[in-house]
Amino acid sequence: MKLLSILVAETIKSHQHNFHNKLIYFSLLIWPALLFVTSYYSFKPFNLSDSSPLSAYMDVDQITMFLLTGYLGYIFFWSLVQSAWGMSYERQAGTLELIFLTPVSRIVVMFSRAAGNLLEAVWLFTGFTLFVLVVTGNAGDIHWWNVPLGLGLLSVSAIVWGGFLNIVFLFSRDAGILFTIFEEPMQFFSGVRIPVLAFPLWGKMIALIFPLTYVLEIFRDLVLNGKGLVELAEQFIVLFGVLAFLAIVSAFLLKKAETHAKETGNMVLF
Amino acid sequence: MWLAFSATFQRNYLVMKRAFPWSFFLGHILSGFYIIIFAYLTYFYVFKKDLSVSFSTYAGTDDYLSYVILGGLLYSFSVSLLMIASRAIITELREGTLEALLLTPSSRKGYFLGYVAQGLTRVGIEFAVITVTGYFFGLHLQNINWLSVIIVLFVLIVSTFSQALVLGSFMLYFRDTYITQNTLFVLMGLVCSITFPAHFLPEAVRWIGTIMPLTYGVDALRLVWIEGKSLSDILPYLWKMIILGIIYFPIGTFFIKRMEKYVLEKHFG
Amino acid sequence: MIEAKNLGKVYTVKKKINFFRSEKEKVNAVKGLNLTIGEGEIVGLLGLNGAGKTTTIKMLSTLLNPSAGKITIDGLDAVKDAIKVKSMVNMIAGGERMLYWRLTGAQNLRYFGKLYGLSGGVLEDQIQNLLEEVGLTEASNTPVELYSKGMKQRLHIARGLINNPKYLFLDEPTLGLDAPVAKQLREMVKSLAKNQGKGILLTSHYLKEVEELCDRVYIIEKGSLILHDTPENITASVVKNYHVKIESSALSTSQQNRIKQSLTGCSIEFSEQGDSSEMQIIAPFDPTALIISVCIKESVAIQKLELKRPRLEDAILTLAKEKLA
Repeated sequence: MKLLSILVAETIKSHQHNFHNKLIYFSLLIWPALLFVTSYYSFKPFNLSDSSPLSAYMDVDQITMFLLTGYLGYIFFWSLVQSAWGMSYERQAGTLELIFLTPVSRIVVMFSRAAGNLLEAVWLFTGFTLFVLVVTGNAGDIHWWNVPLGLGLLSVSAIVWGGFLNIVFLFSRDAGILFTIFEEPMQFFSGVRIPVLAFPLWGKMIALIFPLTYVLEIFRDLVLNGKGLVELAEQFIVLFGVLAFLAIVSAFLLKKAETHAKETGNMVLF
Repeated sequence: MWLAFSATFQRNYLVMKRAFPWSFFLGHILSGFYIIIFAYLTYFYVFKKDLSVSFSTYAGTDDYLSYVILGGLLYSFSVSLLMIASRAIITELREGTLEALLLTPSSRKGYFLGYVAQGLTRVGIEFAVITVTGYFFGLHLQNINWLSVIIVLFVLIVSTFSQALVLGSFMLYFRDTYITQNTLFVLMGLVCSITFPAHFLPEAVRWIGTIMPLTYGVDALRLVWIEGKSLSDILPYLWKMIILGIIYFPIGTFFIKRMEKYVLEKHFG
Repeated sequence: MIEAKNLGKVYTVKKKINFFRSEKEKVNAVKGLNLTIGEGEIVGLLGLNGAGKTTTIKMLSTLLNPSAGKITIDGLDAVKDAIKVKSMVNMIAGGERMLYWRLTGAQNLRYFGKLYGLSGGVLEDQIQNLLEEVGLTEASNTPVELYSKGMKQRLHIARGLINNPKYLFLDEPTLGLDAPVAKQLREMVKSLAKNQGKGILLTSHYLKEVEELCDRVYIIEKGSLILHDTPENITASVVKNYHVKIESSALSTSQQNRIKQSLTGCSIEFSEQGDSSEMQIIAPFDPTALIISVCIKESVAIQKLELKRPRLEDAILTLAKEKLA
């Protein structure tokens, strides 16, 4: 009950704060849509016929679906990067100190913030995805009964990831640089644009860093290949392991940062 | 005009020395670098060098990697330049120095030239870093007519500067840099023949590329760099960039002036 | 009752020598401070050089952990029972920060209220009451970015009262406010303490404000306590002199001499201004009664009499001078 109350409070606050300017929708719809189209055409210089080397990793006819699901997953994760950015604003504006003045559980605030931002950030692109499915006549290829599970899984993972980012951005001086460095590799190495299987070994290693890699694989198996829970059990266990790890690191980091803030009066940890 | 130029150049140099914009600097280099490395991976590992026939028809070359590396190089160059010039006035507004600037009877041309000239020193470094990176990924650096390259870059700078003025007035109108600039940049990535020839795009979208100086700049650069074409061969591209510059410049100056007044009224009225 | 015993705070500051090396330096922000705040009491915290005030407030409000000493709030330890203590205290600082500008006044309060565990009707009632109390009912649905300075400050107050705290810390609450708004705010602070029994700690640069409001004052410098008393006692013990200015009918030189003689122990200066004269008297006691009786004896017509009582401000200025000397 209390959790819900904080979740609602964060959602309303973020909505008022971040969505007062309609331009934000450009970043949540137009950008990923354009990126999706650009990725699609970036395949064009290559041999996409039946003899394509790509067919070793995926069905060449499914490129549109592959990219569409990829970018859907990407926007779930990336939108929370953007919202985490707002955290440094709260530190500068002093409102963060006021949050720390209240008896509320800090970890709840951090994850509520991610959850509160998620729905608002992704509904547009999800709508766009449906639109593309219908227009391109691919709606029939989707295993619809797996879609709710897939989206739920995507949401949970994104929230864990988002809470983690909130904490990282909260306590670092220039989180913008992390953003600059990791934004595009996340798009590329977590298999949004290209199947991870096709990477050389070092590329696969990088892919393992991004939680999106794990979710996206399961999401595609569920929605595009119609695999069942039993078939995916192993992947599920790995995913939950990764998420649990992320959550533990988040809690640890938050604790450490608050202690540090109480010692030095300075929220910046690194 | 000379005074405004040197004053602005010096001021920005001091600011850069005091607080080097690492985030932008690294961001621009990375945006070029990522285009290169992703193309490399896609070319060698995913498609095993298997190109489609239409690529060489549209691109005029079989050298996919050089094609994309130069695309990434010039894309980053163009984005960097656009950002420097278009954010000048809105940065003054944010730092509260716009009023002080407008109070002076200084030449606005001198101000902008100083701003861009100083910024170019940074863009130059970024350009060099990406070129060297490109070399390791297969960009050849022999037998290049550097004079032609410099002429292409110079015309592109002039034309892009005019485009930046228009972008800058949009920024002032929306009082936003982040979304305005990046929307343009994402769009440029799609329509300006950066990672694939724009001919692949449907006609309805392709025309957008024809109003971007970068489209002609990147094609011209590829012709002189990869194919070793002479200046007279790329003359049409240069002309198109010049014409775009001539169109954008008066529009940009007019709107920037209007917007300066507009933001002052909105902010301090 | 809030009790701080032997409170100390040491910051370790990293000083950059060059790009790779930095040196650690210890700064004593607060040293051996003893302080109490009772219920219904307004306590002032003044600093000559501004050193240590904010740090003290942040320690009392659990934002900072003390490096030495102990803070108990109604028997609870401010470090160990931080979460319980947080529900009982709140802090209000002056200025334009610490609010969500794009949210309305009511939305700001609702957000923070929920973080304090309030919800539903209780929260809504509390928000309405507070907005009314600070006079923001009409502006409750206006975004904060459109508020004036005074309105933002009043919203700060409402925010600081959202959890109905038993103890309130006010850090420069009237900084930059217009005189009428500041006065209104002082009235409110007084009523919070006297009518609602809240314990209040106040720091302010306006010493008149401290004098008017505070029951007791702590004066700290460089983190150490140098004086603790009521404003009256501080003033009396630090500032010894009373200033009296009298404008009267013109005085003859003999009259001036006689007046001087009867006021032993005081310094007097005379100045002539046309057909009237002016006396400036500085005395270590209140010389008003004495001087009036002398004037009557000398048949001097008093046109204007001004007694300047020693103020807290004089006391602080005197203290600052002593410290410099």
